[in-house]
Amino acid sequence: MLKIRNVNTYYGAIHAIHDIDVEVNEGEIVSVIGANGAGKSTLMKTIMGIVKPKTGTVEFMGEDITSASTAKIVKNGIVYVPEGRYIFPDLSVADNLMMGAYSQRFSAKELNDLMEEMYEMFPRLRERKKQLGGTLSGGEQQMLAIARGMMSRPKLIMFDEPSLGLAPIIVSEVFDTILKIKEEMQIPIVLVEQNAYKALSISNRCYILENGKVTLSGESAKLINDDNVRKAYLAG
Amino acid sequence: MKNLRTSKAISIAAVLIVALIVPQLGFNDYIMTIFVQGLLYSIIVLGLNFITGMTGQMNLGNAAVFGLGAYTAALSTTKLGISPWLAMILVALMGWLIGLVLGYPSLRVKGVYLTLTTIAFNEIVRLCLQNMEWTGGVGGVRSIPRFHIFGFLINTPVRNYYFILIILVFVIFITYRIIHSKYGRAFIAVRDNVDAVETCGIKLSRIKVQAFTLSTIYGAIAGGLYASFMGYVSPTTFTMNLSMSFAVMLIIGGRCSIAGCIIGAFVISFAPELLRFLGTYYQFTYALIIMLALIFNPNGLVALGPKIKHLFVKIFHKAEA
Repeated sequence: MLKIRNVNTYYGAIHAIHDIDVEVNEGEIVSVIGANGAGKSTLMKTIMGIVKPKTGTVEFMGEDITSASTAKIVKNGIVYVPEGRYIFPDLSVADNLMMGAYSQRFSAKELNDLMEEMYEMFPRLRERKKQLGGTLSGGEQQMLAIARGMMSRPKLIMFDEPSLGLAPIIVSEVFDTILKIKEEMQIPIVLVEQNAYKALSISNRCYILENGKVTLSGESAKLINDDNVRKAYLAG
Repeated sequence: MKNLRTSKAISIAAVLIVALIVPQLGFNDYIMTIFVQGLLYSIIVLGLNFITGMTGQMNLGNAAVFGLGAYTAALSTTKLGISPWLAMILVALMGWLIGLVLGYPSLRVKGVYLTLTTIAFNEIVRLCLQNMEWTGGVGGVRSIPRFHIFGFLINTPVRNYYFILIILVFVIFITYRIIHSKYGRAFIAVRDNVDAVETCGIKLSRIKVQAFTLSTIYGAIAGGLYASFMGYVSPTTFTMNLSMSFAVMLIIGGRCSIAGCIIGAFVISFAPELLRFLGTYYQFTYALIIMLALIFNPNGLVALGPKIKHLFVKIFHKAEA
């Protein structure tokens, strides 16, 4: 579904990611783990067209999107839920959701149904739909960011560190939601995480990034028992 | 919810009735002229609200847009001899053109750089209008024809007042629709969180230019109406000071609020009259009031309403106890 081949991305003279090959297939959760500065967010931004790779290609559903604009990529069906809960604090919860559907031409009824679907999935958002986004708690803002991403009926969702700065119980809730999106809605997911254990335990496959290179990849169930991975990322 | 809607409808009706009665209260032509100015400035500030209030991009070139609108109407009616109505179409086109031509390059830069670009634009336009021969130089353009409507000549301040009031009501209606559309949401989203806007699949540059173009169209239309209302235009009107005043109107009244824009436009238009008794201390007092207002009431005069209500409720409760 999503194929990234030989991608090299630079920030000025800094070579942020080296010759990366990543593939995402239908119906799977693919996790990308690595330390700070390993190039995880750069990889996401390259896929979204926020930064352009110097060499290599990004292909989505058979179409080359390497040099497409972010707006076009979102329209094509890839949604990116950035780290740090990028919501709109001065817009109401309902308006925040509506912003997610901006790129698609939905009718008023489709839009209404979609909102209803989101409120079913996230009942807390229904309770707070008139409240400003900025008044929500951290966990609720993360839920809002996820729901907003879902509003464009994406074909692939990428989560950038959804557990960042959340209490452990909320982290579990967020991961349950991600699993639900994959299982009930059949939407494949790319999950970028520092919380390696959580990421490995819910994903099908995993890529491990170090200094901008993929050093290890394979089935998550195998990686979680790999000695090197355990030492480096799972603290023994 | 229903109560809120009826109370809103009642207050809108009340304001409209007051607006219709104003010219019957026996104000002299001078005061009526300031009322008309308030109406015209309301249109500009409603436009400025899109780019500065909602989208959060400081624009200090609006007097130049106002001026270009006024000169488009003035020159096309006096030199080409077309009717003021037809001229208004040219004026709107002019506003659209300024939005596109100035918007694409200038909105690539942010913050102070954008502010400086718009200030430069303001000065360039003013100097051009002042020094070019075909714009009439410092003397400007005189004997600009008035509007004709159903056999009425819109020539007195009172007639202009009603004429521009109708246009303002129409503009308010359109503004309301835009604010509550997906574009309105996107404008606020740009101010709120630029990075998240792109991940929603929105082209940042396009949405900014749209907001900017709306503001220039509004500004130019107000300019076109101004030219016909005054009967003459001169480059000395369209200074940076006026641009600053528009920004002050927006912020003192309350950004992102239609009522705020209009209150701000009227309060600042009448400020020189209300503070006239201060004589040479006027400028000083005016600046002081604005500074204090920004510190203690940063959300504008519209935010005072709920505050006063709250105060009354508090006093009432105390009296009861």
